[in-house]
Amino acid sequence: MEYLVVFLVLVVFLQTRITNLKRAVVCLAGQSFIIAIACFFLGLSNGEGIHALLPGILTLLVKVLFIPGAIYHLVGKLKNEREILSASNVNYSTMAAAFFLVWGYFIVEKLMPGSVGRDIIAASILMIMTGLALMVLRKRAIIQIVGLITLENGIYLLGLLMTEGLPLVVELGVFLDVLIAVVVLVILTSRMRLSFMTTDTSVMKKLKG
Amino acid sequence: MDYNVADLIYIILALPVIFSIVAAVNLLGKNVLHWLNRIFASAVAVAVVLLTLIFDPETPYIGEYIYLDALSMWMIIIIGTLYLAFAWTSKAYLDRDTNKRYGYLRRFGRLEGRFYALSHTFVWIMFIVVLVNNLGLMWVAIEATTLVSALLVAFKFTRTSLEATWKYVMVCTVGICLALLGTIIVYYIQLNFIGTDNPLDWLYLSRHSQEMNPALAKFAFCFLFVGYGTKIGLAPMHAWLPDAHSEAPALTSGLLSGALCICAIYVLIRNIIILMPAIGIDFISGLCLFFGIFTIAVAVPFVVVQRDIKRMLAYSSMENFGLMVAALGLFVPVALQAMLLHMFNHALVKYSLFYTAGTIMEEYGTKNMMRIHGMMVQVPKTSCFLLLSIVAILGMPPFGVFFSKFYMLYGFFTVDHPWLGVITLVLLAGMLIGILYHILRMLGSRPKRKSSGELFGYVDSLVIAGLLIFSCVVSAGLSQLTVLNNLLECAARIILGGVA
Repeated sequence: MEYLVVFLVLVVFLQTRITNLKRAVVCLAGQSFIIAIACFFLGLSNGEGIHALLPGILTLLVKVLFIPGAIYHLVGKLKNEREILSASNVNYSTMAAAFFLVWGYFIVEKLMPGSVGRDIIAASILMIMTGLALMVLRKRAIIQIVGLITLENGIYLLGLLMTEGLPLVVELGVFLDVLIAVVVLVILTSRMRLSFMTTDTSVMKKLKG
Repeated sequence: MDYNVADLIYIILALPVIFSIVAAVNLLGKNVLHWLNRIFASAVAVAVVLLTLIFDPETPYIGEYIYLDALSMWMIIIIGTLYLAFAWTSKAYLDRDTNKRYGYLRRFGRLEGRFYALSHTFVWIMFIVVLVNNLGLMWVAIEATTLVSALLVAFKFTRTSLEATWKYVMVCTVGICLALLGTIIVYYIQLNFIGTDNPLDWLYLSRHSQEMNPALAKFAFCFLFVGYGTKIGLAPMHAWLPDAHSEAPALTSGLLSGALCICAIYVLIRNIIILMPAIGIDFISGLCLFFGIFTIAVAVPFVVVQRDIKRMLAYSSMENFGLMVAALGLFVPVALQAMLLHMFNHALVKYSLFYTAGTIMEEYGTKNMMRIHGMMVQVPKTSCFLLLSIVAILGMPPFGVFFSKFYMLYGFFTVDHPWLGVITLVLLAGMLIGILYHILRMLGSRPKRKSSGELFGYVDSLVIAGLLIFSCVVSAGLSQLTVLNNLLECAARIILGGVA
């Protein structure tokens, strides 16, 4: 489990530095894969039967295969697209992620001292905050979607650890929602490419006040 | 014919989804589609009326996944009324778009099926939000409403509607994810302090709400409040609201403003009922009052300087949601009943306002209020409806909103918050001045373009008039309408924690 946390933190730090869209999507798939392994690990150590395996299988299908696949297909249609950022901006994101990690450990120590999954909780707080930072700071639609899924993964991991998985019906509903959300966002992004000739969200600033 | 509660609930849940599948297949002709839409919605409305008549507020219906009590019944009445209004106004709205030279539907053809499929699914999911018994499923349904309505907001795929939808999905999904975190914490509390039976079941949790841990409950409530507050459109998280309401097709704006944000308030209320015994009333009441009044205060200046008519209406919705949340924070029966009544009145009046505004926009070819003059001379019937609905939403005496706003403000003065009441009154007065200034400018002065004839047909005039009169009759004659009066009293009791 400790190795998983190390890999997870590594992937999240990589995400703050990647500007190429395809690599960002691959990175997202890697992150979800780690979450899926964590699901299997926690599920099998806590219980047996279908409810123990189902979250892992669903994560594998939805978040590792379908979502990155759909975004990757969309990225294939975009030309000359990468996140335009100066090196300092990327460095700030990484610095912020480092700060979030320290802050995550601080919160865990403060709220639940001596809890078993201290590292995982800190890692999921890191994912939640980094996902938010990606959505707010980056301009490309694709990177914002990646940020959203990172945020969702973080909350999902936290929930998995705290409650050993939500009730089955709710779990299925949450996966369905994530699935539809990505479909809607992919539709919107491809429409954006048609109407604005770019997926840079900073061109959309007509609506104010 | 004899029906029981379960049958009627299944009818209400089945019909919209059947129609949306039929519409999504898109094999039927346009006229058949319009009529089927009306027939299905009317059937649902009849089912809602029957359900209201046979449902006893004191004995909630408990199914495996469904829970129906007075509070959810009241929400079903609101959504059902709007559904009926939607179905009977949609043909006129869509035809107007088709007949215009550069209308979107004319260029792309046969998009009616898609529009109907999405709209009916949207209404169906809102019925689910108010009928499920599980906090987790409520979360799932609220998130699903965001996604379905996003496709409706972006229906015409213009540049501005894409921008609005992107903002809507991003802001609301982040907010709703925080609410998921809050729900997870509630589940954690349940596992550790109450037991593993009936996971996240609302009724079970509300019966055991005394056993929760206060610190964790407060933590969960903060996330839930921010999360669902984003969806309601409370002030610091409101960025998506004016964009989405102004860029959506008028029918969708009406449903968004009238029903969707109300559903978010409903889910917040359900969570508050569970968490209140553990947290204590002061914390919740303080948060609700502060953010409610802050929302009104943010909305007022934007209304005064507004140029876009639908944005102005969106800010007016924000003001009403702020008032509702503030009244919720008072926790006295008078204010709570008035709040529930205000949900109903606001939904009906705002739907008719958005519909009227959408019609004017289509005919005048602009949303800019500064470019619309002399409507009273050119289109007397439409301007009459516009003026009546505006007067209604501002809370002038003969209309329903007057009663609900009056009792909400009365609530402020009964619970030792007179100064907050005075501040709210001043802000509402600012709202009134801002909106009336803009609308009277549009209605008065000399027309500067050729008249295009009357805008409203028979059916939509009847629907709009019906909505206004219905809200007026229900609010003014509430004490005579025993069925609704009992329902409201019982719902207010449920919010205050007296679960049957």
